[in-house]
Amino acid sequence: MQCDMLPLVIETQALSKLYGRQRALDGVNLKVAPGAIGLLGPNGAGKSTFMKCLLQLQPISSGSAKLLGREVGSEGREIRKRVGYTPEQDCHIPGMVGCEYVTYCAQLCGLPFRAARQRAHELLDFVGMGQERYRKIDTYSTGMKQRLKLAQAIVHDPEVVFLDEPTNGLDPRGQTQILELVHNLWHAYGITVVVSSHLLNDVDQICEQIIIIARGRVLVHDTLENLKARKRGAAEVVVAERHQELQAACERRHWPCELLPNGHVKVEHQCGSLNPLLNLLHELKLAPLEIIPSPNALEETFVQALEISHAAA
Amino acid sequence: MPLHDTSYKHWNGVHLGLWNRRLVIARNGLTACLRNRWMRHLVVLCWGAALGVTALLFLMGQLLVADSIVVQWVGNFNPGLQTFAHMLTTWLEQHPEISVRTTQNLLFYFFCTYQMRAGIFALGMAIPVLITRDLASNAIIIYSSKAVNRGDYLLGKFATAFGLMVLTWLGPVCAAWFMGNLLAPDWRFFWHSRTVLGHILVYGLSSLSFLSLLAMGVSACASKEKSTAGLWYMWWIVGGVLAPIAEHTQPWLRHLSFNYNLDQIALAVFRLGDDLNTARNNIPVFGDMLRNIRPQTMEALNTPALSGAVASSLLMAGLAALILYKKVKPE
Repeated sequence: MQCDMLPLVIETQALSKLYGRQRALDGVNLKVAPGAIGLLGPNGAGKSTFMKCLLQLQPISSGSAKLLGREVGSEGREIRKRVGYTPEQDCHIPGMVGCEYVTYCAQLCGLPFRAARQRAHELLDFVGMGQERYRKIDTYSTGMKQRLKLAQAIVHDPEVVFLDEPTNGLDPRGQTQILELVHNLWHAYGITVVVSSHLLNDVDQICEQIIIIARGRVLVHDTLENLKARKRGAAEVVVAERHQELQAACERRHWPCELLPNGHVKVEHQCGSLNPLLNLLHELKLAPLEIIPSPNALEETFVQALEISHAAA
Repeated sequence: MPLHDTSYKHWNGVHLGLWNRRLVIARNGLTACLRNRWMRHLVVLCWGAALGVTALLFLMGQLLVADSIVVQWVGNFNPGLQTFAHMLTTWLEQHPEISVRTTQNLLFYFFCTYQMRAGIFALGMAIPVLITRDLASNAIIIYSSKAVNRGDYLLGKFATAFGLMVLTWLGPVCAAWFMGNLLAPDWRFFWHSRTVLGHILVYGLSSLSFLSLLAMGVSACASKEKSTAGLWYMWWIVGGVLAPIAEHTQPWLRHLSFNYNLDQIALAVFRLGDDLNTARNNIPVFGDMLRNIRPQTMEALNTPALSGAVASSLLMAGLAALILYKKVKPE
């Protein structure tokens, strides 16, 4: 991916991490510009290890890494002052109430007590926690814990925040709310977000840069837009009625199409843009409710990358 | 819907320094310890003991004043006792280095060593809060992802243990020394008892550092609160029982008890044997009472097993440091 003109957030050179004989990261070379970055990969691919190496939670076996222009390993504290992290697993401090915990986390990053307390309440408001902030964390539901983890990660106003599986264990409503918050962090407030997930839909919704990791190697690093452009030529059309008519019109133009179980019509129009499809709909005087371009681009890229990786192995 | 602005706001303030962050860890640990009701009771008890010692020092000070209320009060009961008190007062005034230094040294030796038990007990209650809980809840990851590293975390926890011991042990002892001398009839009491304060500080600070490190090591041994607290109390009690038995069988076994080691260091620091000899040879009437101490006891007081105690304590501290190094990691 071309990002030479932008200030880099992450820069790694031949970054490797070994757990005994197991190679968790294998010569990772990356140059990542600010933005909403999705770190994709199957379980055990090395996503979490990559994050932990950058945050110095795990020592690097070989190679080098820079975060926000500073050398990981020698400037750990300074880096972490400007970085937030939500781990995958629960890791609160027992016996504390929510607002006390977030205040404490802010103080650990160097905020004075008054500022820390004020920020804690602001951030708990931001993540949508109400009076439950005065309850002990041990009594929180999974959704509350996820919100609290997000609040503690951004309470010190970091420049980059690493989110490891932020929607794990959440119901669909909770997932949507968390993803919306994360989406806003970059798009509204300019905080670079690195989201590690194996849920493609999550990443598809909030990220604009994609890094696919498997077997400790970076398989793909590109913008979501570019990835979708590679897969351009298909779209899902959501119409309220006249599905058969649309299908027949597509077949007349030799565009393979299919009625999906969810009622959408998948059309492979095989063009670089959506204009021919829009023209067809105009001719039919059919008003679509929604058109989803390149609907499975990310999934297809992901599967393709994994297949190549497996074949190479 | 919230009535106030819930949007994200950037923060542009000045970050506090590293020592402040370490202090935050220490203060948080101390607050967590003091949430325990029994711990608060123990702290009150320790400061109560300090008040008792202050009162004792006040009474002893009054003995040095010929017309003090105490001497008059004693005279109300028995005129003979008043005469004796007058005689003692005259002698004590002539020998302040013995009357003040020796008596305070003896008193503070006992106060220090007994108060240490309270400190060890308090540490036992604090052990689950020190590191065990953080290991059990993975909180180490949270610490490590903030602007502190493992060393800062351990330093903060060390300060927690140290602070707790100051609160239950060194604080009350030093306060008793200060208040006792402040209430004394003469400012020279501060001067004559300065070496006693030196002994208290040398013994107190070295023992506090050692015990704090040891408690941290025990706290990091396991992630179950009952296991670590149990291990601490077991070690303390079994060591205490083992030491007198081992004296007649395998003397080196005594050094497995950290309590015994600290007692030996206390004897060496306070030089209790010297003081007892001074008192025995110089203080009228009371000195004669001290002649009844058995020669074996005097021998033990005069020649504490200092080298063994120091070596054993260093070994224990090294072991604790090794446990901390191995166990306190993000993963």
